Amino acid sequence: MITHSSRKVKEGKIVKVEVDCEDVIKKLKITGDFFLHPEDVLDDIEKTMVGLKKDVSFETLFLKIDDIVKNNDARMIGISPESIAEVLREALK
Amino acid sequence: MRWRVIGLETHDAYLNMAIDEAISEGIRAGSSPPTIRFYNWEPGAVSIGYFQGIRDEVNLEVCRELGVDCIRRWTGGGAVYHDSGGELTYSVIAPAGVFPKNIIESYRLICGWIIRGLGILGIEAEFRPVNDILVKNKKISGSAQTRRGGILLQHGTLLYGLDLKTMFSVLNVSRQKITDKMIKSAEERVTCVQMYRDAGKEDVYEALLKAFTEGKGYEFGTWSGDELARAKELAEEKYRSEEWTYLR
Repeated sequence: MITHSSRKVKEGKIVKVEVDCEDVIKKLKITGDFFLHPEDVLDDIEKTMVGLKKDVSFETLFLKIDDIVKNNDARMIGISPESIAEVLREALK
Repeated sequence: MRWRVIGLETHDAYLNMAIDEAISEGIRAGSSPPTIRFYNWEPGAVSIGYFQGIRDEVNLEVCRELGVDCIRRWTGGGAVYHDSGGELTYSVIAPAGVFPKNIIESYRLICGWIIRGLGILGIEAEFRPVNDILVKNKKISGSAQTRRGGILLQHGTLLYGLDLKTMFSVLNVSRQKITDKMIKSAEERVTCVQMYRDAGKEDVYEALLKAFTEGKGYEFGTWSGDELARAKELAEEKYRSEEWTYLR
């Protein structure tokens, strides 16, 4: 089943999440008008979420995204690992 | 450091965005100089940010009807309607080390050149982080930046005129929903040079040119054959491709 969630997050930009999920996340697409340097980090974030259980906690999502951002020395503008995790968690409901 | 300045020229969306990428590649390879360029879009186009979904943001059917091109940018940020006559676009492409490492500070620096240009025209403007310039609290300019392979590319637009009806019809808001109220509300948030000055587009370009080059070593230049060939290749093979357009 494909579900969506989108929101203007507190850092100022729009985050939209489309997730294809049954028992586990099969596919995930994050879009929006934010900035992320380097840009390819978003692909890593999307790939890392695949396989996680539908009821994965916000904390786990946040820590995984935060890890990727830190490991890549990535800079987010208008979004944050926390905001992405929030919108994703909402899409998984 | 000496900048190359490319005076106001007009291309379609695909070549405009491809030139920015080709020059970034050239600077990285040591074959292109740091470059400041000014340009128009013909035909008009909608550009979307690198992370946006084109179907989400753009009314593709209306674009087709109006002959407005649709393109995914190499930079993040939001969807922009590039009106052929209603805006002026710039790109600054140079080694990232020339600019502050802090991204907001680098926006502030380059946006400061636009603010200076508006000042030359007698329009007082201010930088609003992340990437906007406001006049009396209304947006007049937006910019977007990418830093890849050690090269910083920042491009952005300065609104010269406003065609809100077309803007709303090509962006993904259904035509039935484009109410007077919506136009009025947008007019309260967006503005353009013509609202404040009876200046020709050429005057606006001259003011920006002066502000962007002030205090810099520069010379007017042209594209090399290799740069143009690479840009044309990127325009055809990347920017016009469905794979790129529908990437997200």
